[in-house]
Amino acid sequence: MLNAVKDVIRKSSIHVCLINTGGCNGCDIEVVALLSPRYDLEQYGIYVHNNPREADVILITGAVSEQWRDKLIRIYNKAPQPKIVVALGNCPLTGDVFNQEGCSVYAPVSDFIPVDAEVSGCPPRPSEILAAILAVGPDAIAAKGRQK
Amino acid sequence: MILPVGPIHPGLKEPLRLKLKTQGEKVLSAEIDYGYVHRGIERIMEGKTWQKAIYLSERVCGICSYIHTQTFAETFEKIAGEQAPLRAQYLRVLTNELDRIQSHFIANSTYFKALEHETLFMYMLSLREPIMDAIELLTGNRVNMGWNVVGGVRMDAKETHLQQIKEIILKLESGYDKYVEMFEQGPLVGLRSHDVGKMSREQAIKARAVGPIGRASGISYDFREDHPTYRDHLDFNVIWRKEGDNFARTMNRFDEVPESIKLIKQVIDNIPSGDVRKKIDIPAGYGEWSNEAPRGEVRYMIESNGNLIRKASIRTPSIMNIDACAKYMLKDVATVADAVATYASVDPCIACAERVVIIDESGQERNFDGIHNIQLE
Repeated sequence: MLNAVKDVIRKSSIHVCLINTGGCNGCDIEVVALLSPRYDLEQYGIYVHNNPREADVILITGAVSEQWRDKLIRIYNKAPQPKIVVALGNCPLTGDVFNQEGCSVYAPVSDFIPVDAEVSGCPPRPSEILAAILAVGPDAIAAKGRQK
Repeated sequence: MILPVGPIHPGLKEPLRLKLKTQGEKVLSAEIDYGYVHRGIERIMEGKTWQKAIYLSERVCGICSYIHTQTFAETFEKIAGEQAPLRAQYLRVLTNELDRIQSHFIANSTYFKALEHETLFMYMLSLREPIMDAIELLTGNRVNMGWNVVGGVRMDAKETHLQQIKEIILKLESGYDKYVEMFEQGPLVGLRSHDVGKMSREQAIKARAVGPIGRASGISYDFREDHPTYRDHLDFNVIWRKEGDNFARTMNRFDEVPESIKLIKQVIDNIPSGDVRKKIDIPAGYGEWSNEAPRGEVRYMIESNGNLIRKASIRTPSIMNIDACAKYMLKDVATVADAVATYASVDPCIACAERVVIIDESGQERNFDGIHNIQLE
């Protein structure tokens, strides 16, 4: 009974923390576009803020730059359980165009923290980001919560 | 007390650390830490052909990604001493102005979000979406367009698409004054914006503020005035104000949108027919080119050996503007909330701003804009 109630609550209120770990800003802008009345992210019960301590979903945009190597793990540990990590765009998956000789990025992001979902694209369209969060978000959070 | 804001903070959209020195609620001064999104783009560009490096230049910044490729392409055209075909130049102006409109909308929406004025925030974002549609119609992508090549643009625009873009622009223009009035006449937004984060003209010159931030403080200069296409074929006014506060910066961006609409209408009505791309042989040499990005002057300095890039240096507007914000605007701000709003009013773009700042032993801070890096033969 308690678990069922927790499931409903976890599914209906998802807090998203957006972390740019060294990208070009394009994915962040597409996440901001998701807040616009056309896509209206909040109708699905998803609230984007940048507070890791309240986050259920951590959105990572960007390859991991020098400064983020230790800070990313610290921020990941600050988020309460259950949490899922969505890697957004090509940068956290492969480093995109930045992952070449002479660069100062340490992609992929899965070397540092476990990644639950990946959305490729440079940048992905807002509808794709929304579909990814909705596809993985509510159920994965509820399932991870039950494991504990 | 030192109040740290960031790098991950609800008030910031991008990673940056603001250290606010506060006394009670009053902010005495501020310090800024960069370096969270440094990717080493200038270093990666070395030894690449322009065909590969143009993708890197596009990803310097995601909001004003278009102007970076245009400046990159025009730098190479300068090295070769040639110009793109006239139709390509017009199409570049068209995309540049569409990009400027969407960037100004998102900048203003961030400012309203910092003021917690959700209504205007949503209005700005809903005005922005049709513009993104227009950009997608023209170039095929929303953010990173891949639209410029050295010697022109990648593909021609259809006449029907141009007419559709004009319809979108006319629709934007018809209802635009309502939103400006909401901000200009709104008493509460006005209270939070007037006389907050002031920067005088002298301070703006000292901090090398550019773009809408410099123009809001009385530096009446726009790099589009010097661009050959704008100078020879198109007509527009430079918007500038005297106040130098948050209100002036936001209004400056609001007022630049009708000028961009005017330019887009001129382009669509007068666009010449012909090629959109020509082959340019690039000799060895060094070239510099500046353009007016939505945030101010963006300058590319490239040395090429004919095929590969030997040295590239990029000067973006955000770093000067954020510097000006930390040095002059965030002095003696009444509240912490106002300090965050002031920071948002500068339209900071951290992905742009990750350039080299060298502090020498005397503690003097200098921004090397890159010219010293390049040794000419």
